[in-house]
Amino acid sequence: MKHEDYPPGTAAARGLAVCHYCLCLQRKENGYCADCGGALHLRKEASVVRTLAYTLAAMVLYIPANILPIMTVSGLGGVEENTIMGGVVTFWQMGSYPVAVIIFTASVLIPILKMVAIIALCRAAVKPCCEPQRMATIYRLTELVGRWSMVDVFVVCILVALVQVGSVMSIAPGPAALSFGGVVILTMIGAHCFDPRLIWDKAQRGSPPAQQKDS
Amino acid sequence: MKRGEDNVAMTWKSCSVMAVHAQADQTSVGPTVFRGMLACDQCDTLYHYPVVEEGESAVCDVCGAKLLSHTRRGLHRATALSVAALFLFIISNFFPFMTIIAAGRENTVTVMDTIKALWDYNDPILAATVFAFIIAIPLIVCLCQLYILVPLMWGKILPFARVLCRFGQSSVPWSMTEVFFLGVLVSLLKLLALARVEFRVGFWAFAALMVCLTAALTAIDRRELWRLLNPT
Repeated sequence: MKHEDYPPGTAAARGLAVCHYCLCLQRKENGYCADCGGALHLRKEASVVRTLAYTLAAMVLYIPANILPIMTVSGLGGVEENTIMGGVVTFWQMGSYPVAVIIFTASVLIPILKMVAIIALCRAAVKPCCEPQRMATIYRLTELVGRWSMVDVFVVCILVALVQVGSVMSIAPGPAALSFGGVVILTMIGAHCFDPRLIWDKAQRGSPPAQQKDS
Repeated sequence: MKRGEDNVAMTWKSCSVMAVHAQADQTSVGPTVFRGMLACDQCDTLYHYPVVEEGESAVCDVCGAKLLSHTRRGLHRATALSVAALFLFIISNFFPFMTIIAAGRENTVTVMDTIKALWDYNDPILAATVFAFIIAIPLIVCLCQLYILVPLMWGKILPFARVLCRFGQSSVPWSMTEVFFLGVLVSLLKLLALARVEFRVGFWAFAALMVCLTAALTAIDRRELWRLLNPT
């Protein structure tokens, strides 16, 4: 895509690239940022494809993360394997509603919503669908909220270390902890690969009134 | 201050339209880095580099992303908070974190023990990931900040400062001290029914570390920091 093809009023329309790292503005032909040495691109390279690839990988990993046990509790009453959803249900039945809600939000709701949001963003980047302002908000939320899903992995980590009371009770990490960590890391990389400017490029060219307002 | 921000952004929008016309023919012969302008990093709208009063921030007119904020004595605050974060980091990692008392037995752990426990259960990848997210990356971020900020207090820039600044800033999303802290709270709620838990020095230091590190990173604007590193 030539820089003349970008909507007027943008830096890319004048062949100026924003450095990904230091956010300074310079000509794309320089190749590398004069200030910090980062590679210059008008838009992140193969942004949509990369984002979708990471998200797809995350979706695949999300299956073992939910089926396999996240931790194994062995105590006097025998060995018990806990899955993520199993833990939520246990807490709900025990009456600890806040804990159940926190775990459900962090380990079920946020990852699923995040993957759906990333796919919606990719769709908006390919063809204009709804208001770009709303998509921009979704993008910001996705970036902000993604890392908090890691809570579940840390909980396993702390419980494993703390609950080692000899033969009375001990907790071992399960394979789902690793896959769940993988889901969080992959969705974070996926969201990072996404270039929100694509949404605005599409939206401004797709709707003439917005273009008129701009120039 | 929200209203004020909006007004300021509105004035710049009119500036930006001027920028687009005035600079129309100059881009092909202009300087390497265009210091008089900036573009929104989320929607690429071009603006004149705004003059922001202390304590105010500029918001993009098109997409609403924050362009720039001028924090009160940002450099000094960021440096002070980074120094504090480094000390708290040392305390939180070398002192006991929590003690669990159950069935007449006591178990005191440090932050490092939680990682070692995963390692002992033959989960080295998970152990390495957790180590990176709660110890290695926060430390790297903190040290990079100090290496850049302390010399800047005297107007000096050490070699590799720009490379380290780039590296430090791209590591920030992976520094998960606050997420770990939420994890601690959730696991406490889980344990309340089973055992008694006591907080130790490391726990409080970790809580303070989380606050200091987050505050240090937000004390100085990213663009402003890069401006200090690349004086014209």
